[in-house]
Amino acid sequence: MTPRNPLDLRKFVAPEFICGSGALQLAGRYAHNFGMKQVLLVTDPGVRAAGWAGAVGESLTEAGVSFTVFDSVSVNPRSRQVMSGMEVYRSEECNGIVAVGGGSAMDCAKGIGIASSNMRDILTFEGVDRVPVPAPPLICIPTTAGSSADVSQFAIITDEERKRKIAIISKTLVPDISLLDPEPLTTMSRELTLDTGMDALCHAIEAYVSNASSPMTDMHALEAIRLIHDALPAVILEPEDLNLRFSTLLASLHAGLAFSNASLGAVHAMAHSLGGAYDLAHGRCNALLLEHVIPANYEAASEQYDRIGAIIGPVQGERTPPAEGIAAFRRSLGITGTLASVGVGEDAIQTLARRAYADPCMVTNPRRLTCEDIERIYAYAL
Amino acid sequence: MRFEPPDDRDMLREKIIGLGETSLHKSYYPELQSRLEELERFRALLDQTHDAIFLIRTETGKLADANASAGMYLGYSKEELLAMPFASLFSPQQKARLSEFIPESGDRPSDSRQTCITSLLSREGTEIPMEITVRSVTFGGEQYIVAIARDITDRIRTESELKIKESALESSTNGILIADLTGTVMYANPGFASMFGYEQKEAITGRNLEAFFADPTLGEKITGHLLDNRTIVDEMIGLRENGSPFHIQVSGSVVQNNARQPLCIMLIVMDITERILAEQMRRETYAQIEKNIEQFAVLGDHIRNPLQVIVGYAEMIDDPLVAKILDESCRIDGIVTELDRGWVESANVRQFLRKHGDGA
Ligand SMILES: [Fe+2]
Repeated sequence: MTPRNPLDLRKFVAPEFICGSGALQLAGRYAHNFGMKQVLLVTDPGVRAAGWAGAVGESLTEAGVSFTVFDSVSVNPRSRQVMSGMEVYRSEECNGIVAVGGGSAMDCAKGIGIASSNMRDILTFEGVDRVPVPAPPLICIPTTAGSSADVSQFAIITDEERKRKIAIISKTLVPDISLLDPEPLTTMSRELTLDTGMDALCHAIEAYVSNASSPMTDMHALEAIRLIHDALPAVILEPEDLNLRFSTLLASLHAGLAFSNASLGAVHAMAHSLGGAYDLAHGRCNALLLEHVIPANYEAASEQYDRIGAIIGPVQGERTPPAEGIAAFRRSLGITGTLASVGVGEDAIQTLARRAYADPCMVTNPRRLTCEDIERIYAYAL
Repeated sequence: MRFEPPDDRDMLREKIIGLGETSLHKSYYPELQSRLEELERFRALLDQTHDAIFLIRTETGKLADANASAGMYLGYSKEELLAMPFASLFSPQQKARLSEFIPESGDRPSDSRQTCITSLLSREGTEIPMEITVRSVTFGGEQYIVAIARDITDRIRTESELKIKESALESSTNGILIADLTGTVMYANPGFASMFGYEQKEAITGRNLEAFFADPTLGEKITGHLLDNRTIVDEMIGLRENGSPFHIQVSGSVVQNNARQPLCIMLIVMDITERILAEQMRRETYAQIEKNIEQFAVLGDHIRNPLQVIVGYAEMIDDPLVAKILDESCRIDGIVTELDRGWVESANVRQFLRKHGDGA
């Protein structure tokens, strides 16, 4: 791996965020303070049905801000959805975006923002630092505890033509403010809670072992791992408990601050490739890949992995091989299955590996993996 | 620190945490929004003006911006305009003539404002006469040329109409004089100048009307009459520069603006000396003829009296010649009677002529 020197230059970007009960109600005030007059309220049908988009809309109305709802957002948001959102943004003459939802709604909102400020197709921004004109202000209200899109510089959009996910990485994608309210999390299903929770865990672990990590990101990453390990199993049993929900939200926030600055690694590179080809839930892909990536990376970041193992291990404090600890944690949550069980065939591995190899997340993986390495990991995970 | 009552402290604490109503991290967006609105307002203003406005990059000679009127006059969309060199909006002849005004790529324009009359070439190929003002400016370190083109089609038409009117005034053999409402002359045509014996018409402007009449009070009377009655037609005695009087006929009117307020007065002057002299001569001729004919009537009587004596004596004598004498006397009387009748007839003719004017 790239040797780490504590004096290496690092940058830490974090948006303004407000966390706690009732944060959602501040949407109107901030929209107003940002000078928004006509807001595009980006959400998805599920969040809308649960009433959270309506609650944010009320706050906007109270602050005298008009809005148009755009909810044509699916899991793994498509470039076409982004472009139709941009059409609405322009035709309604919006001057700000409020996203209410999980990673999909927030990534779509980020995409709409840069597509409309640059007047370009969303697929042309693929890669790092390729957004010339910053997006209009974006207020995020996450309704899941995992994607951390509300604090990150990432947006993952699916190119439906080529069945692949593109990663857009730019500091201009960091939202202007995140309103972290535990209440919307209470309407998440068990499955969604688990998938997004495992996504947050992967964010924290990958940021912690990343070759771009820093003392600042390490601190957030470790705290996120601790919080998830403690709160995720508990919140499954008591989904209405606001304190537990808030712990998962904080975990996601910590993980987000860590990975937005230290970036990710092979798990995400491979999950993006998988999700693009099979339209699978992102968190589930991560959960099924994580324990197979660790052995491949271990030598390059053994110290970090051991520390993770010490936190996640079945008995805290005891030394367990970290991959085993992770696998046990996953099973304890009831996440079972393999890539094969979600429909991935052996014949697909080569293409999946090639795409994962080209994913920008691979750049910060602690070990430089070859295509063959990646193929092997996919094969283990089948 | 000043003492704060407990309620205010709670509020202050909220604000310090960052939960105040207006607590916001540094953002230029709201300000940017209001500036953009301002800019759009200004843009709308520029698009509303009739003048075509072009912003040209000095380095490339290409258009960097153009207002809506520019596209409208020339029949191009804004996108098309922005892809064109400014020079391509001129016909080759104009381009050659105006090379110092029209920036081609790399030209160094002069810094001062310059105006030229030329024409722009529309998409259809028609040339639109324009007055173009160009000026070099620098924005953000880059050199531009601002060209403001004004359509002068109407102006040229008006100018040529004016020219026709002016040359009509100038070439009129009647004297034409335009004066302000106080009677000070603003314009006199060459006809007036030569009629009044002035070498140069410029010597007339600035003088008062009174200078051109034998009766110096006439000038004031004319302006007064015109302001009251709008028009005047009268015969007067004009005064040449050398002081010699002559007969003139003056027709005057008041020139009004659209609101029917008087602007100035205009006098058309005709030299009627010849007519007046002819009339005078005619009058004298008639008087002479009348006198002659009266003398003629007297002459008839003068002939008849001795003739009667001759006839009386002849009737008294018995002579074979008497019949001859009486015959001849009768003939003489007949001739005199014919002459009398002729006089009566010519008197009738004279009367007719007097009644109907022309004595010629
Ligand atoms: Fe993720």
